[in-house]
Amino acid sequence: MKLLVCIKQVPDMASRFKVNGNGIWYDEADLAFRMNEYDEFAVEQAVRLKEQLGNEPDITVLSIGPDRVIEPIKKALAMGCDRGVHIQDSASYRKDPWQIASAIAGFSHGKNFDLIFTGMQSQDRGSAQVGAILAELLGINCVTTVVGFAIDNRVVTAKRELEGGVKGVVKFSLPALVTCHLGLNTPRYPTLPNIMKAKKKELLTFPITDFLQEKEMTVTASAYAPARKGSGILLEGDVNDVAERLYGILKDKTTVVK
Amino acid sequence: MEATREIYWNVGHGVVWPMYTIFGIAISVFLYGFYRRFVVYRQGKALNRNDRLPERILLFLKTMVAQTRVLRVHGPGFLHAFFFWSFGLLFIGTLLIMVQVDFTQPILGVIFLKGTFYKLYSLMLDIAGIVAIITLGGLLVRRFFYKPEGLETIKDDYVVHAMLLAILVTGFVIEGLRMAATELRNNPELAVFSPVGMLFGKLFLGVTPGSLSLAHKIQWWIHFLIAMSFIAIVPFTKLRHIFTTPANYLFTDLAPKGSITTINMEDEGTGRFGAAKVADLAWKDIFDADACTACKRCQDRCPAHATGKPLSPMKIVKQIGDVAFNNPGAGLVETLGADALWACTTCRACQDICPANIEHVNKILEMRRNLALMEGSFPGNEVRTAVSNIEVNGNPFGLAFASRGEWADGLGVKIMQQDSDVDVLYFVGCYASFDKRNREIARSFIQICNAADIRVGMLGKEEKCCGEPVRKMGNEYLYQMVAAGNIEVIKGYGVKKIVTTCPHCFNTLGQDYRDLGLDIHVEHYSTFVNGLISGNKLKLKPESFEFTYHDSCYLGRYRDIIAEPRAVLKSAGGQIVEMDLSGYESFCCGGGGGRILAEEKLGTRISMARVKMAQATRAPLLVSNCPFCLTMIEDGIKTGDSEGKLKALDLAEIIASRIGG
Repeated sequence: MKLLVCIKQVPDMASRFKVNGNGIWYDEADLAFRMNEYDEFAVEQAVRLKEQLGNEPDITVLSIGPDRVIEPIKKALAMGCDRGVHIQDSASYRKDPWQIASAIAGFSHGKNFDLIFTGMQSQDRGSAQVGAILAELLGINCVTTVVGFAIDNRVVTAKRELEGGVKGVVKFSLPALVTCHLGLNTPRYPTLPNIMKAKKKELLTFPITDFLQEKEMTVTASAYAPARKGSGILLEGDVNDVAERLYGILKDKTTVVK
Repeated sequence: MEATREIYWNVGHGVVWPMYTIFGIAISVFLYGFYRRFVVYRQGKALNRNDRLPERILLFLKTMVAQTRVLRVHGPGFLHAFFFWSFGLLFIGTLLIMVQVDFTQPILGVIFLKGTFYKLYSLMLDIAGIVAIITLGGLLVRRFFYKPEGLETIKDDYVVHAMLLAILVTGFVIEGLRMAATELRNNPELAVFSPVGMLFGKLFLGVTPGSLSLAHKIQWWIHFLIAMSFIAIVPFTKLRHIFTTPANYLFTDLAPKGSITTINMEDEGTGRFGAAKVADLAWKDIFDADACTACKRCQDRCPAHATGKPLSPMKIVKQIGDVAFNNPGAGLVETLGADALWACTTCRACQDICPANIEHVNKILEMRRNLALMEGSFPGNEVRTAVSNIEVNGNPFGLAFASRGEWADGLGVKIMQQDSDVDVLYFVGCYASFDKRNREIARSFIQICNAADIRVGMLGKEEKCCGEPVRKMGNEYLYQMVAAGNIEVIKGYGVKKIVTTCPHCFNTLGQDYRDLGLDIHVEHYSTFVNGLISGNKLKLKPESFEFTYHDSCYLGRYRDIIAEPRAVLKSAGGQIVEMDLSGYESFCCGGGGGRILAEEKLGTRISMARVKMAQATRAPLLVSNCPFCLTMIEDGIKTGDSEGKLKALDLAEIIASRIGG
């Protein structure tokens, strides 16, 4: 069985974001980067599947971006993926989801992946489109926002997170693509021997031009921080007093209490 | 008539051959017993404890002969020390007889047990005998009648106490029987030099010579056979500590306190890290179990144990021994329990008090290393999050690394990246950098430095967590990553002196980083400020206040800095009311050993227990010297319903508020 995991490196959400020089994305100075949280669930699920099937599946982990994205690829390799693929693109933030999905499809073409895992969305752009477009381009089943995953004889039973806390269960056959959501699993912490082994695993680098001929379908016109609408109020002092004041505010300004 | 006595009186020289044969058997059993244990010790990894031999021998003699470690706990320590000294004298006395009667006399014709020396010898041994009986009696009552909580009595204890008492009493009975037949009748002036023997002798004065002779022979053999059995069972019972405990003084870890082996990450070797099995520990870790006398002093001082967590340092040591001897293939974590291992705050109270110089803390760390590096485990998900925050942002809070220096805005602290011409580099640490309450420590420290005209620089966003909490949680890999980052940055600025406000940073930068190539003088601010005051660089306007002082483990027990912070507080006008547990006996706040990152889910809160101790002094203020301590103590004040009764401040805050004059 051949598995593909698509991951993205994103800034840590606690970072202070500033809009960059060309006004369409964030400035990378002083940002700490990490693997997109949903993609960690994707890596973990792929590795669990490999373990469940007696280590038979072969996992390729792929990321598009500048050289810094090698870090999360290494982490994924330390978590248990077999091979890393870095699609080099120094300005990947300028690519829209259609182009990203097309590039991955370009790479995947003819490789016959049985199952592709992606995150539900990225924490920075948050389009939640790459997985679905990729499945469409490859003509395979697609199941999004997966919070439960079981496989039996090439038939997957997946639990999906729907709106308002409702869950849905779907069954589908391979080949397929799933986008992983919070609650699917708790990603493992790589062990030191696996970190060491990961350093020796294969890491292939390709320029994005090898796989992408498509033009963008959407263009970011501008990026900006939301305008401040008033500031928060900090209630301090005696608990009873604070509670009274909070009640007063809720009564005056909201419909929570009548 | 010359003062001496006939050796082998009544039993005759004919006993020499059977006596030495039995002695030979006893010694053989003794040696065999220790050989079997030696094989078990050898399961452990190699570790050199034969370096600096003269120093070791001196330490060994001093600690054993003067019983200094044993005497740190007065009551039972006093009984043990006097028993040791008196029984030691008796042993030497017996040895002298052997030397004379079987060696110097037949070979050289020399008799030295005579005259004044014999009188002194006789008197000394009688006194030693009675002191041994009295102190053994005291120990016996303590063990079997008024047993302190936590003292575990095993079969060995019955055997050992009975044998020792029998040896001592039969010794006097033999002496009494002999004296009843000899000295008491024909040399009463000499008899007074055996006062206890004389008392026993008087009991037997009415007995016929024939019965005296028979009774003496029987008693002699009984005494001898018990003594030989005693030698033979040493390796098989608790008695082995007579040899293993002093040997442990010889094998003491002479490295600075708190030294931890720095794993070579490049050396993939076996690909195994930390201790999963006893074979992953050092031989000394197995030997420690044999040196342990189960005195439970460690357990009595363990903050985790005192607050109902499943950790006893004594049990850890004993269980490792048990696995090594009985089930060497067993998994250590499974046997000892991960909860017990994660509960340790590495406060070192156990190791500091141990009369056998056992190294508890590093054993726990080795097993944690196995958990962290080989299993990727954590004591809880909150720790996993904190660790991943340190990986990404260099601080356990997960706050933006670039905001690390924001607390100092407007305080005139130089950022090294912009201007590295400074007197000292202030390594701020995560808590003083990011935690709202602890930022007051950092600000106070800067005020102090400004008042003393010290030019302070900091790394700002280039500083990362020093790595201490994760290292103590077993994650050596992450520790070395953050350490390497810090070291590279610090070295780049040609820093001459580093000051920290956190004892954990202080120990890590000043000691642990040495293994990774940082060799710069590092000081904790309490000694630094003390130096500024005594050097008249910092003038204070003393203002009277009453306080109690909490010694952080990593300053007091680890680095022996106990007097300096007290001196600083005194010069600020403070009158100290000490807690029962202070200085080397200080009770941890609960935040050490990486526990600052963890929720305390088992037992009661350590911080609450410490706050109660502070409150018992009736001082309104608790002063500490560590951001972790301040955090834990304020938590203990809140959760323990002590708000309004006790206030917690850091030493820096007090000093900053008294600048001037």
